[in-house]
Amino acid sequence: MNLRVLACALACLAAPASAHAFLDHAKPGAGTVLQVAPGSVMLLFSDDLQPESGVTILDSSGHSVGTGRVMITGNCIMAPLRRLGAGKYRVVWHAVSMDDHRTQGAYVFEVKP
Amino acid sequence: MHILPKGAVRAAALMLAAAITASPGQAHGVIGQRFFPATITTDDPFAADELALPTVSRFDHETDVEFDYSKTIFPGFAIEVGMGHVNIHAPGEPRARGFDNLEVSPSVELYRSPAHEFILTTGLEWEVGGTGSRSVAERSSTYTPTVKFGKGFGDLPDSLKYLRPLAVTGTVGYAMTGATSEPRSIEWAGAVEYSLLYLQNNVRDESFGRLVSHLTPLVEFRFSSPTDGSGTTGTINPGLIWSGKYIQLAAEAMIPVNRASGHGTGFIAQLHFYIDDLFPHSLGRPIFGGHK
Repeated sequence: MNLRVLACALACLAAPASAHAFLDHAKPGAGTVLQVAPGSVMLLFSDDLQPESGVTILDSSGHSVGTGRVMITGNCIMAPLRRLGAGKYRVVWHAVSMDDHRTQGAYVFEVKP
Repeated sequence: MHILPKGAVRAAALMLAAAITASPGQAHGVIGQRFFPATITTDDPFAADELALPTVSRFDHETDVEFDYSKTIFPGFAIEVGMGHVNIHAPGEPRARGFDNLEVSPSVELYRSPAHEFILTTGLEWEVGGTGSRSVAERSSTYTPTVKFGKGFGDLPDSLKYLRPLAVTGTVGYAMTGATSEPRSIEWAGAVEYSLLYLQNNVRDESFGRLVSHLTPLVEFRFSSPTDGSGTTGTINPGLIWSGKYIQLAAEAMIPVNRASGHGTGFIAQLHFYIDDLFPHSLGRPIFGGHK
C-alpha cells in the first residue's frame, strides 16, 4: 500500500509542469558599466516564455530607446539596440511563463563616454 | 463542542467578506519585482498553493515533525491545514509524545502594491482542541486572529541601492484560548531577509551562479507575550533559504531570547513544495476564479 502511494506521488511529480519565469542571466547585466555600447539586450529566464513577454529599454530621462524587433524564443528575450550614446539605461522586462504566471523586473546599466 | 469567541466569529466574517472582493493575485510569494520565499518560523503573508513537508525542529528537549498544506479557494484566499508529531524528553521527566492538535488557518490578501512590493493579509489561526494526543495536545481550542504583511525595499533611491534586496515580513495575532487557566497572549513574529536573487537581477550582477543567487540569508523571530504580564518568550532564528524552481530548502538555528524561552540553541529545517508551479493546471490553481 505504501509503495503504491509512493509510486503515485513520484508519478505526479514527474508530470509536465512549468513554473514562474525568474531571470537567470542578463547581458548586459545589472549594474554593469560598459566601455562599448552593447548591440543588444539579452535576457535568459528559468522557464520558457509566452509571446506576451517583453522588454523596454529607457534612457536616463525615461524615454524609450528604439529597438529592433524584440525576439522571444524559448526562455530568451532578445532586443537589438541601435548604437547607444554614453549614459545610464534602464531595462524593464516582464515575463509570462507557460503556466501564465507573471514576473517582472528592472535594472540599470551604464555606457561610458 | 467548542464555541467560537465573538471576536473570532467577527474576524472570520470579515475575512469571508474580503475574500469575495479580493482582487486576483499572483501565486507564491511574488509581488512586483520581489519574490518572498516561504519563511519557516513566520507564516508568510501570501495566500498560495504550497506544501511544507516536513518541517523538523529540535529545541529545548522537544523534537517536532510537522506538515502544512495551503490551498487557494479563490485568488487571494487560502486555507491552510497543519499537524505535527511532538516528542518531549525533558531530563528527570517521563517522555511525552504524540500528535499535536490540528490547525486550520484561513487567510485572505487584503491589499497588494506591486510598485512598493507591499502586501497586507489577515487570517485566523484555529488550533482545534482535542484533535491531538492527550499527552501533548491541549483539550481546548485556541483562536488567533492575525494580521500579516510583507514589504520589499526595491523602491529605495539609487543612493541606497544595496539595501533594495532587503525585505521584511511580520505577523501580529491575539491568541484566545478556550481554557480559563491559560492567559490570552499577543503572538508576534517576523523576518528580515536579504535576497541575493534580487541583488543579482535588479541591482548588480555579481555572477553568483544559480546555486548562490537563489539563496536568501534571513533572521526570523517569534515571540509570545501573555497579557497577564508573565513575561515574553520566544526565539531568534538566523538561517538560509534556497529557493529552486519547484521546491525550497530552509534551515535556521533557534536561539532562545531568555531563560524562560528554553535552554540551548536548537534548529529548524524544512522542505517546501511550490504546488502552484508543480501542478499549475490542476492542484495548483484556486478552486474558484483562477485563470486557465
